[in-house]
Amino acid sequence: MAQEIAARPAATPAARGEDAHGGVGVTNTKLGMWLFLSSDCLFFGAFISAFLLYRGRDQAGPKPSDVFDIPFTSATSFILLMSSLTMVLALAAIQRGDHRRVRIWLLATALFGATFIGGQIFEFTEFSREGLKLDTNLFGSSFFVLTGLHGAHVTAGIVWLLSLWGLSLQGLLPTENAEKVEVAGLYWHFVDVVWIVIFTLVYLMPT
Amino acid sequence: MSDEVAPESGSSIAEKVEGEVEKVEGELEAAEHEVEEHLPEGAVTPAPGLLPGELYPHPSPFRYVMIAVILVVVTALEVSVSYLEGSIADGLIVFLLVVMAIVKFGLVASWYMHLRTDKPIFRNFFVLGIVAAIILYFVVLLTLHVFS
Amino acid sequence: MATATEVKPLPVVLRRPRATQGFWSWFTTVDHKKIGIMYSVTALAFFVIGGIEALLIRVQLAGPDGTLLTASQYNQLFTMHGTTMVFLMGMPLAVGIANYLIPLQIGARDVAFPRLNAFGYWVLVAGGLFLYSSFLFGGAPDGGWFGYTPLTSAPIAAGALPGHGPDYWAIGIAMLGIGSTTSAINFLVTIINMRAPGMTLMRMPVFTWMMFVVAFLTLFAIPIVTAALIMVYFDRNLGTGFFVGGVGGDPLLYQHLFWLFGHPEVYILILPGMGIVSEILPTFSKKPLFGYAVVVFSGIAIGFLGWGVWAHHMFATGLGPVAISAFALSTMLIAIPTGVKIFNWLGTVWGGSVRLATPMLFALGFIGQFTIGGLSGVLHSVVPSDTQQTDTYFVVAHFHYVLFGGLVFGIFGGLYYWFPKIYGRYMDERLGKLNFWTMVIGFNLTFFPMHFLGLWGLPRRTYRYDSGMGWDTLNLVATIGAFTIAVSTLVFLVNAIVSRHRGAPAPADAWDGRSLEWSIPSPPPEYNFAEIPTVHARDDFWHRKYTEDDDGRLVRLPAGGAVAVEERPTGGDDGGHGAPGGEHIHMPSPSFFPLVLASGLPFLGYAAVWKDVLWAIPGAALVLFGMYAWAMEPPTAEDS
Repeated sequence: MAQEIAARPAATPAARGEDAHGGVGVTNTKLGMWLFLSSDCLFFGAFISAFLLYRGRDQAGPKPSDVFDIPFTSATSFILLMSSLTMVLALAAIQRGDHRRVRIWLLATALFGATFIGGQIFEFTEFSREGLKLDTNLFGSSFFVLTGLHGAHVTAGIVWLLSLWGLSLQGLLPTENAEKVEVAGLYWHFVDVVWIVIFTLVYLMPT
Repeated sequence: MSDEVAPESGSSIAEKVEGEVEKVEGELEAAEHEVEEHLPEGAVTPAPGLLPGELYPHPSPFRYVMIAVILVVVTALEVSVSYLEGSIADGLIVFLLVVMAIVKFGLVASWYMHLRTDKPIFRNFFVLGIVAAIILYFVVLLTLHVFS
Repeated sequence: MATATEVKPLPVVLRRPRATQGFWSWFTTVDHKKIGIMYSVTALAFFVIGGIEALLIRVQLAGPDGTLLTASQYNQLFTMHGTTMVFLMGMPLAVGIANYLIPLQIGARDVAFPRLNAFGYWVLVAGGLFLYSSFLFGGAPDGGWFGYTPLTSAPIAAGALPGHGPDYWAIGIAMLGIGSTTSAINFLVTIINMRAPGMTLMRMPVFTWMMFVVAFLTLFAIPIVTAALIMVYFDRNLGTGFFVGGVGGDPLLYQHLFWLFGHPEVYILILPGMGIVSEILPTFSKKPLFGYAVVVFSGIAIGFLGWGVWAHHMFATGLGPVAISAFALSTMLIAIPTGVKIFNWLGTVWGGSVRLATPMLFALGFIGQFTIGGLSGVLHSVVPSDTQQTDTYFVVAHFHYVLFGGLVFGIFGGLYYWFPKIYGRYMDERLGKLNFWTMVIGFNLTFFPMHFLGLWGLPRRTYRYDSGMGWDTLNLVATIGAFTIAVSTLVFLVNAIVSRHRGAPAPADAWDGRSLEWSIPSPPPEYNFAEIPTVHARDDFWHRKYTEDDDGRLVRLPAGGAVAVEERPTGGDDGGHGAPGGEHIHMPSPSFFPLVLASGLPFLGYAAVWKDVLWAIPGAALVLFGMYAWAMEPPTAEDS
């Protein structure tokens, strides 16, 4: 232990130029992630707006009520919500140094996320079978691009979480790196929150 | 690092050692910080036990589970309301759904993303992005006659 | 973090680069100063390329019925000219100067995320090369720098733009947007979190303040255009109907999304220039900036209000009277904070001890020419006027006056101003004045006549015009002006290249400046400040040098009475570790992986343009490998 501490370069984070604890008393990494999430709001907002703009404008092709399976999507939404719970439990675990639990909760989150994606894929293939594709009509265009981009965000998150899980397995995710789990969590919760908006505005809105 | 070396059964001795190490490392870091860099004016030294960026300690796991239960209940309510299409006015359904979505969004952001226990700067930037998105796209939709 | 026992020696290809000197070190550097230089040099190269495109356009339009270019070639040239000047010159040059200066001005050693900083630069290179490769692979983008739909979004088979130009354009700009976003996040976190003790927001130099606003604008505007570009790509290649009128889609949605980005974009372009002018004027008037707080708040106001004016680019699209009135009002409103800045600058110079060195000349040029551009902008805010002016050369005159007469002049001023800091040598003053005057003459000869040409009906974006319309003479004058600008640019390049090694040596405080960057050696050591300063006031460095006597005259303080200006470290530039006080300062280590990650992007781009999955494989491999290796690598090498 003493060897570890002595071996660390005698430079504070501020002098290293990364993760300064000066300034306004927050870490660079967390601040950076929140700024990124802030900008992602505008990204998703554009596609949500396109969807809302084109709602009800199709003259041909399937309408939402023709293809939506609300019970099924409610189930997948529930799973994604639960993944946020497991994510924050993973963070709580690493903050108290319980690394076994970290791995359990990280894996659970990734699995729930993968289940959600599996559900999306199933849903999309069902819709396609029922005649709704990317190029069928405005509903198809705006729906698949919006949910597809959301799914891409989730998938990237799953890869991220599995990477953290792998790091923890190798003993490379110590308690002092809790922030890595925290920022992954922020990203994950954001993706969940975007889904809350999508589920409401795309699936549940009356036509 | 003792984290990787400690047996996976989580024996209390190993955990205690872990805790000691973290305490010593934290103290060393603080001492280094003081010696090599001036603490900038206005910088907040986190209170003991708090991480940088936190104003209050994070919620407990029990709370997280409670929030999850509320989220599930609200989602069930949302789905139920959507099935009322035809029985009650569309405008009312829209209103209820939007309110419930905001509630869920707020719960996840405040509790799971720790906005209610962290320093306000994170919330301020996030809200800035959300508000900007809502206003700008609302004006676009308005101009394209979505609401007429 | 890996324990000491777990670190095995890595294969050579993965070993952390160590060099901070030498040619190859530039490819792995994470030093904000080197990155700033690379951004600026690359942007200047694109300035020349974009300028050549402009010269070709001007030759084609020098007389009626031009025959140098076909319509298709002309369309590619004006599209690439605009795209280049906005995305490959204007933004990167500002980012480059900001990269160099922001840490110096706030008393920091580097930016918040040094590797991310390098990544942003390599994305610029990747995106620029990707965009320009289109000339070789079937034709450059030809739908205008704004890419209106459905011209750009119609599928290749059905549309008016054959070839892959619009695809290169959509993907190229989206790619560049990644770098812009990471830069913005980097600057924001740096400015918020890494200021020296005592450097409150209201003590920051105005250039840093303006870049702070610019970073917010960038952060929120780029995602909007990225979304629009994705929709264009999907419409063109995957059959979606976002902008297809025939299935109920609305091409106007594109214009809204594009200009939601596009208008903040013009403020992203101009605010850095305004910041530079706000630094130069006080130094060369020996007076503080008149109304610092007002200048800062005007910048913030422009940042906010700039979001509310976008549809003034769409006055002729049939938005309806309510919408256009609202946007006309907001556009008039934004003239106020803009005008306020001009008065503050004039107030700064008035009564000052004015020194007309080259930086000052460019700054004064900015004020005059930007004002003219601003006035034509106010004319555009009046809807009936704009309806006549839109799509004519009057608009071309307007935006060149603000962007060239404004921004570019400001940037040149900044380059002359900070060159001595960067290289320890002044640029030649006589060549500088020649540069300035030929630029003023050339610029005004080129663009002033366009106000008339526009009002006399010459349309934009048209590859030739008929004779007998009364347009011939002024077009010829404009072309002569354009070549004068080219001469001026050559003078600048010669000046820069010669001065780099043979310019008059410059001290740390080359111009008797006011801000912190002048308190460290020229060129600065790798670690910038041997000791992070504590700031007690705005223009803290100035106040350490001067005080005022009872009559308000400046009195120089004795050198020992203030923090002494550090001399150049002995033994040459050895990375700073040998300098007094520099031994214990560990800077972030160089890294390959920003370059590796960025290099994967063009492969992904080609996969998307040519719809060939095979290209995605090396792209994905480079991106994933780059990401993982970067994530696993500590910011500072363990053994540095």
